[in-house]
Amino acid sequence: MTINPKNLTAQLHFRAAGNPPTTMPETAISNSYPGLEFDFRNIWRRLFVGIELHESDNYVVRGFGKHRNLVGHRLLIVAGDPTVTAVVGPQMPGGSSGQLSDATMLEWSNSMARVLHRHAGRMVKCEFTANIEPQPVPIPDNRRGLLSLQLRVRPIFASSKTTRGALPVIEQSLVEPGELTQSLCSPWQNDYRECACYYWAASRPDYVNVDLNERGVTTGNNWLAKNRDPKEYVPDDFADSRLIGYEDLFQNWQALLQFVVEGKDYSPGDKSD
Amino acid sequence: MSDLGDTQTVTARRLFEVSAPVSPDLHLVRSQVGLHLLLPNGNRLFDVDAATFESLEAVRQSANGGALEELLRAKGLDLRKFIDDAPVVDPQVRALSLAVAQKCNLGCTYCYAQQGTFGGPAKNMPLQTALLAVDLLFKDVRSGDRVNLSFLGGEPLVNRSVIRSATERARQVSSEKGAEVTFSITTNGTLLTPEDGDFFEQYGFAVTVSLDGLGQDHDQLRPFKGGQGSFARVIQRVAPLIAQQRQMQVSARVTVTPRNLTLKETLDAFVAFGFHSVGFSPLLRSPTGSDEMTLSDLEMMLDQMVMCGEEFERRVIAGQRYPFANMVNAMREIHRGTHRPYPCGAGAGYLGVSADGDLSACHRFVGDEDGAMGDLVNGVDRGKQVMWLTERHVHRQQPCQQCWARYMCGGGCHHEVIKRGRPACDYIRGWLHYCLSAYSSLVSARPDYFGSQPATTH
Repeated sequence: MTINPKNLTAQLHFRAAGNPPTTMPETAISNSYPGLEFDFRNIWRRLFVGIELHESDNYVVRGFGKHRNLVGHRLLIVAGDPTVTAVVGPQMPGGSSGQLSDATMLEWSNSMARVLHRHAGRMVKCEFTANIEPQPVPIPDNRRGLLSLQLRVRPIFASSKTTRGALPVIEQSLVEPGELTQSLCSPWQNDYRECACYYWAASRPDYVNVDLNERGVTTGNNWLAKNRDPKEYVPDDFADSRLIGYEDLFQNWQALLQFVVEGKDYSPGDKSD
Repeated sequence: MSDLGDTQTVTARRLFEVSAPVSPDLHLVRSQVGLHLLLPNGNRLFDVDAATFESLEAVRQSANGGALEELLRAKGLDLRKFIDDAPVVDPQVRALSLAVAQKCNLGCTYCYAQQGTFGGPAKNMPLQTALLAVDLLFKDVRSGDRVNLSFLGGEPLVNRSVIRSATERARQVSSEKGAEVTFSITTNGTLLTPEDGDFFEQYGFAVTVSLDGLGQDHDQLRPFKGGQGSFARVIQRVAPLIAQQRQMQVSARVTVTPRNLTLKETLDAFVAFGFHSVGFSPLLRSPTGSDEMTLSDLEMMLDQMVMCGEEFERRVIAGQRYPFANMVNAMREIHRGTHRPYPCGAGAGYLGVSADGDLSACHRFVGDEDGAMGDLVNGVDRGKQVMWLTERHVHRQQPCQQCWARYMCGGGCHHEVIKRGRPACDYIRGWLHYCLSAYSSLVSARPDYFGSQPATTH
């Protein structure tokens, strides 16, 4: 037995069999935390035919065909518009202005707006660093050394073959299935480990198995300690291998995290069971 | 059972049958491309398979609400209400129509304005009154808002200078406020001049010309007061505007009576003539009762409307323009799932202004206590407005509560319902049922017509 939504109100309010409540627009997580639903930056990766860029950097991740040699180079200028800029400002509130960075990446949706408006679907002049550049670099004073070539700009929106007009959907060649969500922060693992205070993801223990001696001094474990023995608080410097790290949480959270009941690690068979 | 798919010719009688109200919670449609479920809450339309269709049909006939809810829930659907009982509260004025001339040079027997005067002495709206109306229109307007100013009558062009001054003032105020104003006029066409064309073009008017058919058909219904026909004159006066339309849009509106039921011929002729769009409305109420449509007339009209609609379907599939306004609007609204607690904005965002400066629920209630809403000097009578919006809500209408089409139709034209009742429900449901099946076919054949589906990308 099948039923398929046909018009727009039906589509908007339809929850397909098996989908959780968060797939509805009114209950989606993006209502509360925009950015946890899709990572729109992924559409920029394939903006130019022949190369693949980083979603938030001018670094060439992949090259296809004759552009294979561009991997590791940086795209500095498109149709005359820069992709990086120097940043100037005070180091401290009220301090004097100085150069903070000589090459900061401009956000793609702003820096490419004019390019898309004027050149979508057409060839455009792209200028790359002459060499492989692992770190950001500014546009050199002498641009003659830059690698210059013509690349085709993909349009953001798909177009109807029938009417030739733009359709309100992302052009299919820009993103592969799954890519719009692929680079999201793994919301709960990252935030659960990282966030403190009252942020939504931080409802978790912090200092566990705490004993208080007669002098008012406590001993206990950091909640992230892989071993609870010895009972000591290992400060989190994001590198100490005695603590559960991000990778550990991504790969094996269900085995590493345990229940904490009334401040103590819970083990099955306890009297309190 | 609903059945439009198996027959080549859809008759109005058949449409009356299959669109009859069975359940207020769902309606079933069989089209050329499949089986469809309409949930009136949200006017949500679905494709269903044969088994689901049969189960829904059984539940619908049994009038078992609980069973229906259970069946829908199993499909991920629900019966929650999309529209509550609350009336619109303190609506801002968005559109005003000015009866700039309560007089007319034609003598149409069926006219709701009783040959233009609304049953009183013939009069023009003084300029001061029109400018006060413009003030009211912009009173609460903020930057970025859109408002509409329309001119009706009687025949509004009898009072041309006031139209021009009010239009110029409205444009001036709108640019001061950073708002957008659109203009419209409904005219019998007999007094149009080339200068009117220039003016309407300059201000981007939506010009609606009342035309009731071709030649004789029009002449018998819309004669000059002296008795001679007006068709030749209207066409002669409208033709230059048709050629001139860039910013302005010149449309034809046909009032359908038992005496001009040849819709298809009329539509094709008017489309060929170059009208921006052509629409039909049945005459449901006239002050004298003459020429009002009966059920059998409406059945003939529906046959004609479907014939026009089928031509529209063929033209859309062929990628051709065919501006049959009733169909264009129905396709847009069904696609969006438009659902409304009122048939129109009358008495809410839209008000009529009489030549004397009295406000009413719409242009049809000029000088009529039934739709009185205050006046330009004292503003909108909020008490009367609240009463109107409470009483006119479709949830307060009968037998609308039991009808699947209530949120599409909104309960029918307030003026016609208050003055005559609801003689056209079968016609309206039959038409909407046909439109639902036509939409189902068209959205499959030409998704690009609806502009929002990528199915034809590759």
